[in-house]
Amino acid sequence: MLQRVMRLYADAVLDTDRDRALQVVTDAVEAHVSPEEVVFEIVLPSLESMMTAVSEGQGVSLAQHYMAAQIGAEVVEEMIPRFAARPATVGRVIIGTAPGDFHGLGKRIVTGCLKAMMVDVVDLGLNIPAERFVDEAVARHAQVIAVSTMMLHTALGEGGSLGVRRLLRERGLEGRIRIAVGGAPYRFDPNLYKAVEADAWAENGILAGKVITDLIHEVTP
Amino acid sequence: MMTGMERLKAAINGTPADRIPVFCNLLDQGAGELGMSLEEYYASGECVAEAQLRMCARFGYDNVWSLFYVGKEAELMGCGRMIYAADGPPNVGEMVVRTYDDIDKLTVPDDITAHPAFAEEMKCLRILRSEVGGKQPICAYVTASMTMPAMLMGMEKWMQLLMMGPPEVRDRLLAKCADLCRKRLAAYHELGVDIVVYSNPFGSTDFIPLKFFHELSVPWMERDLASAASAGIVYYCGSARFGAIIDTILDKLALPAFYLSPHDDIAACKTVIAGRALTCGIINDIMLRTWTRDEIRAEVKRIIDAGMPGGHFLFGTLVMPCSIPEESICTMLDAAYEFGRIGTP
Ligand code: B12
Repeated sequence: MLQRVMRLYADAVLDTDRDRALQVVTDAVEAHVSPEEVVFEIVLPSLESMMTAVSEGQGVSLAQHYMAAQIGAEVVEEMIPRFAARPATVGRVIIGTAPGDFHGLGKRIVTGCLKAMMVDVVDLGLNIPAERFVDEAVARHAQVIAVSTMMLHTALGEGGSLGVRRLLRERGLEGRIRIAVGGAPYRFDPNLYKAVEADAWAENGILAGKVITDLIHEVTP
Repeated sequence: MMTGMERLKAAINGTPADRIPVFCNLLDQGAGELGMSLEEYYASGECVAEAQLRMCARFGYDNVWSLFYVGKEAELMGCGRMIYAADGPPNVGEMVVRTYDDIDKLTVPDDITAHPAFAEEMKCLRILRSEVGGKQPICAYVTASMTMPAMLMGMEKWMQLLMMGPPEVRDRLLAKCADLCRKRLAAYHELGVDIVVYSNPFGSTDFIPLKFFHELSVPWMERDLASAASAGIVYYCGSARFGAIIDTILDKLALPAFYLSPHDDIAACKTVIAGRALTCGIINDIMLRTWTRDEIRAEVKRIIDAGMPGGHFLFGTLVMPCSIPEESICTMLDAAYEFGRIGTP
């Protein structure tokens, strides 16, 4: 039965039909599906099925990523307080756009996907200096700093990922904090993440969820 | 030697030429050409025209631009602040639509050519026309209604309104953007621009599902283009892919040229276009920053090999980033001139 509900939910998301997706969840809750099952048997598997579709090269459009992230995050945020026991989060991520970059949609989609995957996200917003990324990561015990950029010059800028790397090195934090990057220019140059000294990148929000949780696991004992 | 315009016409009409047309989109590089900051440079239509002419002459490619930066269109709608960088394009620095009520306050200028935010571009266009009019194709850029809200309210809010509604608010905004688009197209037509790049990332299946494209993108594009002569209009999705919808565009909008994504399959797109329009094969210019000479030549050759057979083909770049070394620009262009040569039968 949960499998079928998961399919209905995933189809509604792919049809970019928020109302229908939320109705599927409401109906499930009314039929006594537990909040834990909603998250782990419906929302997460539907994201995973999109991940599989993306990695198999089936086109999933930006609008569909956006809806998966928005709806998924919305449902998970509503379900978590209703869990029988407070769940352990996967980890914590600090996210923002690089200095000089005011393009926030990529960041928002990544944030939604991470939240739907039970990762804690602290969104610092747009135009964030490297110091702020690092200070916040330390203060909030985050495992990953995620820097999003839409243009090549902001990706390569000293104040972005490169600056974060320099500070992590100077402060001896490299063993504790990883850097993830993404945004349009990385999708045109798959090696760009190395030039900006990041640990990983991902080409879309759903894969970002996977890449970032992998990084969290690398530095979590 | 043929002029850029003659090459372009030959490619469109399928008549003989010395080589395929080669478009190279150098915008911000103009400031460096004149030794100015980007902010000073873009404040002057004379400077932009001069740099466009100098770069075109120096590198030998076929087109010149009247486009300064894309955010200028937001200035026409009341945006008063651009954010400048030392080494990259200026960006819209203020969203004119902050609440849905702001949509009703938006005014589309009646006469684009009389708007102060258009004055420098007008100067630029006049110079370009008098210097190379009829010889080098003069290109302008117009954002489609469906994409314009990204610059008025930001991509995040626009995506939300587009996907989650309310639809009547969305349509009120789109109607204003379509009005702007139509007026801009008319202005460029009147000013004698040869090519208008009609830019619509939201007309790409990378952005929206196919069903949505048919239900929403197509009708709004029909409104944008309703009163425009289609000659000279080039379909472009901001470098997102659109191979899957070319047939629909040809069918419904009859546009004469397609500026593909570097990620589109050129040969497959050409097969769909089947001589009905010009195919523009585009290089992934972000890679020009790091590719070696051999890699650049191999990539140019791959693109031209895929697109040139059967004619009706143009080689082009995206918005070339400033960090591309000049030597690599030359390598790319020389390769395009060489591999794009058309032998006499
Ligand atoms: C839509 C678009 C536009 C629109 C809207 C822009 C806006 N947001 O305001 C319009 C047409 C207005 C436009 C204008 C411009 N654009 Co534009 N645009 C695009 C396009 C097609 C998509 C960008 C986008 O918003 N995508 C949607 C977001 C959500 O996708 P994303 O950022 O890639 O994010 C996804 C992934 O990358 C990943 N991700 C994102 N962040 C992160 C972070 C981490 C940590 C991880 C792991 C993953 C991750 O997940 C996200 C969700 O799936 C791209 C080309 C392309 N195909 O990508 C060019 C592109 C970004 N634009 C480009 C440029 C240059 C511009 C202009 C500066 C041009 C100019 N000279 O004026 C202007 C700037 C306008 C302004 N702001 O004032 C260049 C940038 C490269 C460069 N040369 O520096 C691109 C790449 C096109 C190109 N190849 O030439 N643009």
